[in-house]
Formats: sequence, C-alpha cells, structure tokens
Amino acid sequence: MPEQPPIEVRGLTKRYGSTVAVDDLSFSVPAGRVTGFLGPNGAGKTTTLRAVLGLVRPTAGEARVDGRPYRQLREPLRRVGAVLEADSFHPTRSGRNHLRVLALAAAIPVSRVDEVLAEVELSDAARRKVGGYSLGMRQRLSVAGALLGQPELLVLDEPANGLDPEGIRWLRDFLRAFSAGGGTVFISSHVLAEVAQLADEVVIIHHGRLVTQEPLETLIARAAGGTVVRAPEAERLLGLLAEAGIEATQVGEGELRVAATPERVGEVAAAAGIVLHELRAEGATLEEVFLALTSEGSA
Amino acid sequence: MIRLVRAELLKLATTRLFLWLGLMILGLSAFVTSTRIASTSQLQLSGVSEQRSIVQFAAIGAIVALIVGIVDSAGEYAHGTIAHTFLVTPVRERVVGAKLIAGAIAGMLVAAFAEVVTWSIAAVWLEGKSVPFQLATRTVLDTYLGILGAGALAAVIGIGIGALFRRQTAAIVLALIWLLVGEPVLSIAGVQQYAPGHAIAAVASAGSSTSELLGFWPGLLVALAYAAVFAVAGAVAVDRSDV
Repeated sequence: MPEQPPIEVRGLTKRYGSTVAVDDLSFSVPAGRVTGFLGPNGAGKTTTLRAVLGLVRPTAGEARVDGRPYRQLREPLRRVGAVLEADSFHPTRSGRNHLRVLALAAAIPVSRVDEVLAEVELSDAARRKVGGYSLGMRQRLSVAGALLGQPELLVLDEPANGLDPEGIRWLRDFLRAFSAGGGTVFISSHVLAEVAQLADEVVIIHHGRLVTQEPLETLIARAAGGTVVRAPEAERLLGLLAEAGIEATQVGEGELRVAATPERVGEVAAAAGIVLHELRAEGATLEEVFLALTSEGSA
Repeated sequence: MIRLVRAELLKLATTRLFLWLGLMILGLSAFVTSTRIASTSQLQLSGVSEQRSIVQFAAIGAIVALIVGIVDSAGEYAHGTIAHTFLVTPVRERVVGAKLIAGAIAGMLVAAFAEVVTWSIAAVWLEGKSVPFQLATRTVLDTYLGILGAGALAAVIGIGIGALFRRQTAAIVLALIWLLVGEPVLSIAGVQQYAPGHAIAAVASAGSSTSELLGFWPGLLVALAYAAVFAVAGAVAVDRSDV
C-alpha cells in the first residue's frame, strides 16, 4: 500500500445555511513535519480541522486521516491526538477522571493516564475539579488527552490562544520535542509569529479557500523583502538607490521604505558615505502577507 | 461495547450529578412518605395495598432518572465534552447505544435508591405506629420491579430528549412542564393513558390498578414504544450534529 499523507483534504466544502465556511479546499499535510495552518479569524480553520477529526460533516468533498475518513479509523486515539480550540471539560469532574473516561472508552490502560499527567506537569492538580483550573492548566489537560494513545499525529487548533508567555513557551518546547521524535504536527493559528518558530511548512487559507501551501522559508522571503531606513540625507539616498535599480519611496521626514534587504541598502549608503540613523528589515504582519497573497491570487 | 458502557457510567459517576439527585430523592421521599403515613389511620395503614401505594412514591425515582438521562446527553453538548466523546468513538451510533444502555442502568440504580429510601422511611414510620410491616413480602415484589423498569425507561427517554434539545436546562424544564401540564391537559380528552408519563406510571404501578392508567403490560408496551422513538430520534440528531 502506498504511503498515505497523515492528513489529506480534498475539495472540502462546508456551508452553514447561506454562509460558506470552507470552500473547495484541498491540501495535504506531510508526515514527520510541523505544518502551520494559518488564516485570519473566521477563515475556516476550525471548521476544516473539525472536519478532519470527523466532528463536522462536510457539505462536499472529504477529509482523510491516513487515507480514510476519521470516522473509519479503528482506534483513532492511537493515531491522532487532537487539541481543540477553547477545549471544554465538565467543571465538576477532575482532570484525572476526565482522562480516565477517555482511556476507558479507548481501551488504554489507566496507568497511561498518570503518565500523560506527569508529561504535561499536571500531576499535582490531577485530582482537582477542572472548574478550578487556569486556562493554561486546561490547555495542558487537553494536550494530555491528545497524548493518551501515543499518537504519531497531533492536530492542534489555536493552542496558544489565551496562554501566558510561559504557557506558550512550554507548548512550543513540547511540540518541538514531539516533532523531533518523528511526530507529525498540524497546528492552526491566526498569528504567524506563533508558528514561525515551529513550522516547516505552512498552509494558508482565507475566506475558506486555499491561498498557498509552501515551506515557511518561502513565505518568510515573500513577507520580508522590505527595509525601512532613516537617514538625514534621505533624498540623496533615494536617488542613489534609484541609480542602483532599487525601488524606494519616501514615507516620512528622512525615512524611506526600500524594496531590498537591509544589507543591500547598507552597502549603497556606505559606498556614498551616507550616515544612517536607522536600518531595519520590515517584518510584514500576517495580515500584510495575506493581502499580498490574496491580491496575487486574484490578479 | 461493554467498554463504552463502562466509560459512560464512569462519566456519570465522576460528576456531582448523583450526589445532588440523591439528595433530591432523599428529601422528596422523606417528605411525601412521612406526610402520607402521618395523615393515615393505623387501621388503613395495615392493609397491604395501602402500604404498597406508599412505597410507590419511589416512582419519583423515574422522574429523577428522566433528568439523569437528559443531563447525560444534553450535558455533553452543554459542557462541550461531546467532542472528546466523538474523538474517541467516531461511530456515533455506538456512542448513543452505550449511552442508552448506561442510562438504563443508571435509571434503574436511581429508582432502586428511591425504593430503598422510601422503604426505609416507611419501615421506620410503620414500626413507630406499631403497624405490621407488609413491604417485605413477595406480593409487593412486582411493584419494586415495576419501579425499576420505569426508571430505566424514563432514563432512555431522557437521553433521547437531551440529544434532541442539547440544552439541558431547557430540556429538563420542557419535560417537567409536559409532565405537570401537558399530560393533565390530555386527560381532558381522556387520552392521557397513552402519554409517555402515564405509560411509565403504569409500569411503575405494577401490582395495583387504577382507571387513570393502562394496565402493566399495555403500559409497558406503550412506554417501550416511546423509549424506542426517542432513542432513534436522538440517535439521528446526534449523528447529524456538527460539534
């Protein structure tokens, strides 16, 4: 049997009444890598992930895990671990009992429950009611549930939402270790920076449609490319840049935005002995990348 | 499937649900049983049919079982745990099947608890009034079994209702309004016997007969039919739901 991609989405469409949440979306997630699933809020990420996990029924098309619909997986928890967005639990059930219920239903030994609790550093609070957990603790409990079956694939929907910086770092370290162990990670976010330090590849959607799927480096190269420079002789620099064939515009008093790397701008300025007060790469926001990508798509 | 049923029972056992509903049964039974016995003469109390009708107050266990069923299914949507349930068991018919079986067991347990409570309170009162105790005889056995069956049926119907409504408070309120207002209104037309609450009451009233209710066997058949309809409707709703 040929190797199936861990996740494959083909022509996926989901309509809620007259609203189209996901529109003929196709992509696949490669094995053994971290793939970021990006898009602004409301782009259809959650609906797509929930369709992958068999929680949402597609209007058309399909989503497959290991080559088959999630609903046909025999022991899904041993294959896929899912961390849902704003995951919810019964407030009066303890974290440990929550996991015991899942383990029992999935035929996973209860000893594994204590293992995953230790793994997410939640052992001390395990017997307390989830109602008293902080957001970070809930997120860890959610991760613990995803790890119960020792899956090779993790699907996480906006896992960093609402986490404090410490929680975000914990999650990032954890996912790095999981990925280093050969696991596949599919993680959604509306903030590029969140996944930029993790992802090998990104899938970007907007209005429920695929914008692009490409390696992160390509995306970063696309997003960057701009440099902001401040110099007392900004107008002279503008002329020199034009001579060098570099596009630049004056954006303020003594400030230029240049379509080149900071290195290139620095070289031009140095050659002419121009003093620079500021020279920095302009990090495009994800929104700007979207704008760029979506306008390219419609051109 | 046994595994899934055990998981469903574990869910029920690991929240405060049974604690609160247990206290509710305790309070209601103590109040109703005590008031009835206190206001009945010693002579009347010594008859087996009077004692049977006292222990039949345990049928409130069936109403509590209905609430257990509603909370068991609607509560999963209310708290969002239904997603976890479907991630573990993506074949939803199996989830519903396990819930129905676990619900029936839980409904019987609730009814059994109500029986023990009612029986114990009655025993203490009758002893105090020096009335010969007749509730430990085989003739009352069918009443006990009927109430257990009513608990199971009510829980199954509750699971169906909960799956259809998915909002537990609304579902519980609607169900209680139906029992307190809807069915009495039906009695104006004289068809209340065939309503779900009355059919279950007929099951719970095994061993005694009243003109208001169907007999035990017809009542059981009608109640089973309702349980089947609610279970199937609930299963279809669950299968179609996006969570």
